[in-house]
Amino acid sequence: MKTVDLVIIGGGPAGLATAVKAHELGVKDILILERDIQLGGILQQCIHDGFGLHRFGKQLSGSSYAQKFIDKVEEYNIPVMCNTMVLDVSADKKIVAVNPEMGLIEIEAKAIVLAMGCRERTRPQVRILGTRPAGVMTAGAVQRYINVEGWKTGTRAVILGSGDIGLIMARRMTLEGVSVEGVYEVMPNLGGLRRNKAQCLDDYNIPLHLATTVVSVHGKKRVEGVTVAKVGPDRLPVPGTERYIACDLLVLSVGLIPENELSRTAGIALHPITKGPVVDSSMMSSAEGIFVAGNVGAVFDLVDYVSATGEVAAAGATTYLEEKRVASVEKDVIAGEQVSFVFPQKLHIDPQQEKATVYLRVRSTMRKVKLEVVSGDEVIVTKRENFVTPPEMVSVEIPLDKVDTMKDLSIRVVE
Amino acid sequence: MSSFESSMKEIAAKHEIDVTKITWEIKDEVVYFAGNAHEWSAMVAFCQGVAKLPEVKNVVSHITTPESVQKQAIDPTPYKEMGVVKEVDVLIIGAGVSGCGIARELSRYDLNILVLDKNSDISEGTTKSNNGMIHSGYDTKPNSLKAKYGVKGNAMYTQWSEELGFHFNRTGSFVCGFNQADMDKIQELYENGVKNGVPDIEVISGDRAREIEPNLSDEMIGALWTPSAGYVEPYEVTLALAENAIDNGAEILLHTEVVDILQEDGKVAGVVTTKGIILAKVIINAAGLYTDEIARMIDDEFYTIHPRRGTIALFDKENKGKLHTFAGKAPSSFTKGGGPQETPEGTLLWGPSAKEVADKEDLGVDRDDLDFVIDKGLELTKNIDGNSLIAYFSGNRAATFKEDFVVEASKKVKGFIHVAGIQSPGLASSPAIAEAVVGLTLGELEEKPREKANYNPHRVHQKEFRDCTNEEKKALIAKNPAYGRIVCRCETVTEGEILDAIHGKVPATTVDAVKRRTRSGMGRCQGGFCGSRVLEILARELQVSPAEITLKGKGSEILTAKTRNGGLEQ
Repeated sequence: MKTVDLVIIGGGPAGLATAVKAHELGVKDILILERDIQLGGILQQCIHDGFGLHRFGKQLSGSSYAQKFIDKVEEYNIPVMCNTMVLDVSADKKIVAVNPEMGLIEIEAKAIVLAMGCRERTRPQVRILGTRPAGVMTAGAVQRYINVEGWKTGTRAVILGSGDIGLIMARRMTLEGVSVEGVYEVMPNLGGLRRNKAQCLDDYNIPLHLATTVVSVHGKKRVEGVTVAKVGPDRLPVPGTERYIACDLLVLSVGLIPENELSRTAGIALHPITKGPVVDSSMMSSAEGIFVAGNVGAVFDLVDYVSATGEVAAAGATTYLEEKRVASVEKDVIAGEQVSFVFPQKLHIDPQQEKATVYLRVRSTMRKVKLEVVSGDEVIVTKRENFVTPPEMVSVEIPLDKVDTMKDLSIRVVE
Repeated sequence: MSSFESSMKEIAAKHEIDVTKITWEIKDEVVYFAGNAHEWSAMVAFCQGVAKLPEVKNVVSHITTPESVQKQAIDPTPYKEMGVVKEVDVLIIGAGVSGCGIARELSRYDLNILVLDKNSDISEGTTKSNNGMIHSGYDTKPNSLKAKYGVKGNAMYTQWSEELGFHFNRTGSFVCGFNQADMDKIQELYENGVKNGVPDIEVISGDRAREIEPNLSDEMIGALWTPSAGYVEPYEVTLALAENAIDNGAEILLHTEVVDILQEDGKVAGVVTTKGIILAKVIINAAGLYTDEIARMIDDEFYTIHPRRGTIALFDKENKGKLHTFAGKAPSSFTKGGGPQETPEGTLLWGPSAKEVADKEDLGVDRDDLDFVIDKGLELTKNIDGNSLIAYFSGNRAATFKEDFVVEASKKVKGFIHVAGIQSPGLASSPAIAEAVVGLTLGELEEKPREKANYNPHRVHQKEFRDCTNEEKKALIAKNPAYGRIVCRCETVTEGEILDAIHGKVPATTVDAVKRRTRSGMGRCQGGFCGSRVLEILARELQVSPAEITLKGKGSEILTAKTRNGGLEQ
């Protein structure tokens, strides 16, 4: 059995940022395990721009953003095994992986960073009825076919879900000559970033139908059409509002779920709302020495945040590997008023650390609000935001020395 | 008015069928109806009612309703002109579990056997959407063929699974009772099961049932327990049967539809297919939903198939181990259908529901179907999240109005065998049906064939990668590195297994066919990741353009056209 100081599972933006940062912090024995044939993760198929505005101050394509990290990995000579699928991770950090060249690989890691990313939700999760013909696909699958394989998967498309991938694919398909009939969104508000609606729908006259969903699919062999209907406040179709739309492709952009099969095999505690591991502010999970980076922990809307969590995980893993991690107080961060979840869910109060970044999603769209971090009765941080909306994650920094570990700590949003 | 007429009119009135709009004729105890009625399900209920009359052997209905689907008959002339392309001893129409089971059992004899199917793969009809239950046989009518073949077939599964190497879990089944009325019904079922010869059947307390299956509802007060019930993956059984039949010399021809049957001197001579004429001494009609249409070709239509649609829901593997045995509910009146169970691969499966539909190809899922399956599952179990659904789909049962199997030689045309109305417990019965059909076939052949000395009942099968130990995995990858490349992440399916499926004895040529053989795309992402990879491998191995690869046969192509620059690879 091979031993490695730090094994990073996943070579997408989270894993890459982790590897680069850990190397820079002095970890020299690192191994990245990537299941695809190359590094970059889903960014490989994201040829549109809009990546890296926070980190690099300019709009990059997804693949260019990833390349900046891949170049560093190469420069630092960080070992990478591509085409390698991890089959099992145990709580004591033993990894079983497989690839065609080496066969079954068994590794004992001193620390692990989980960076497996997320996957798309599928048709059954949104309960679309009717038949199961060819021509019902997730937006990511359509994106892969168009951008990587060079194939279109339909001539007239309906898109369900106004998340970012759905919006991006509305534009991408239009540019390839696919007629996009419209984007339908079950919620009364946009699911993705506002700038994506402007650039991908408005500029191409693609209509967005809010509070409307796809009820059923028609066609035996290939999609022939879909039935859409308005939904009520309960998000269920309103009888009498059904409308048939002829199309040969239904594209689903109905959300992402962290990919945590390996976290489960390792017995790591998962959070019911984020669907990812419960982590502290050093990104360590419930399993000692197993850290979490990026979308495997919670689904982010910006890759910049994904990279940032990778760097936090790298720092956490480095401290752990150097045996400098303090067994200190863990403080739960409570999602307060108007907050649907926080990530990380706990603060790791370490005297060597000044502050911790916590990400959160708000419950509804609001203007001119204050984000307040409350320790006991005292507001210890106030951050003003002009506009907050559930699809756009918000971050807040918490000075650790101001946290009273004896009292409840929560984050709330007030108007 | 005869007693039949008065009874029939009474049934008609109950279902609001206007008897002035229908005609009837009785020949050899079979009632033939024609005309029209106001509604499909009422027509079905009426015909089922008439079929229950003691003097009625079966019912043929040509009654149309507003829901009826008009099917254009295929003109056989151009296909006849293609001439004779093949000559065999026994021709089996339909490559479902019945057809493949019969082919396998017949392949022990020195006979040329050919199985035809109009679809792009075996088990593409009723078989693929079966819930995989091997019923114990407590609920079938005593002395019916369902009772006879069901209990016998169940027992034969042990040998089939040992010889053919498919997954088979004999975990038992429950009928759950929640009140005294349920328990009374359970007592009836118990007595019925005893009559049918169901082994080790007993009525047990709710607590005893929860000892066996802890996640059964706390509200349940008692249950019927039949330990002989079991579970298989129906498409795996069918593939195993087909492969073993092929090993023993049988042939399977897909994409081939029978459009007419040829006769000579009151005997079958062969069939006209979309690939030309195939001569045969014996023809076995195992065409599932289409058996009545095939029977019509020899003017021996004495049953009608009315499709009864069943919807099944599958749940995420995070539920693995929460339930092992099938749990049904005491049937209140005429509610039929299944309940929660775990498939041999560890997937939680709920359903099927039961709904009469007019179109044999109507495989849609309606809101009420899905609600029925999920509500029933939630009622019978606990600790299972109804939202962890990963897939749902429908299949159609091939039911006759008599609601029993038809397994007999034609009385009109020599050399023709009906295997019709094979619905629940058809999968459980298939070994016994196959055995019976072997007997019938030998009776129809003029010369009794000899048994082959080299008949091999065992199928050689490569164990699935995911089921291998680490040492076995190492050995597999050393033999072929393609076993080290995981294509389907959710179900851990390797490229090696996909290649085996594509180049197997019954080659997989569609994405769904690969899925049924390997499980790629059956997991929680439902092919989101692996779909494009499987398509690429299929195109490469079959040496065709990716645009020709289909989901499930012609007309279900996945790609429509190249992009302007043809992608990154160019």
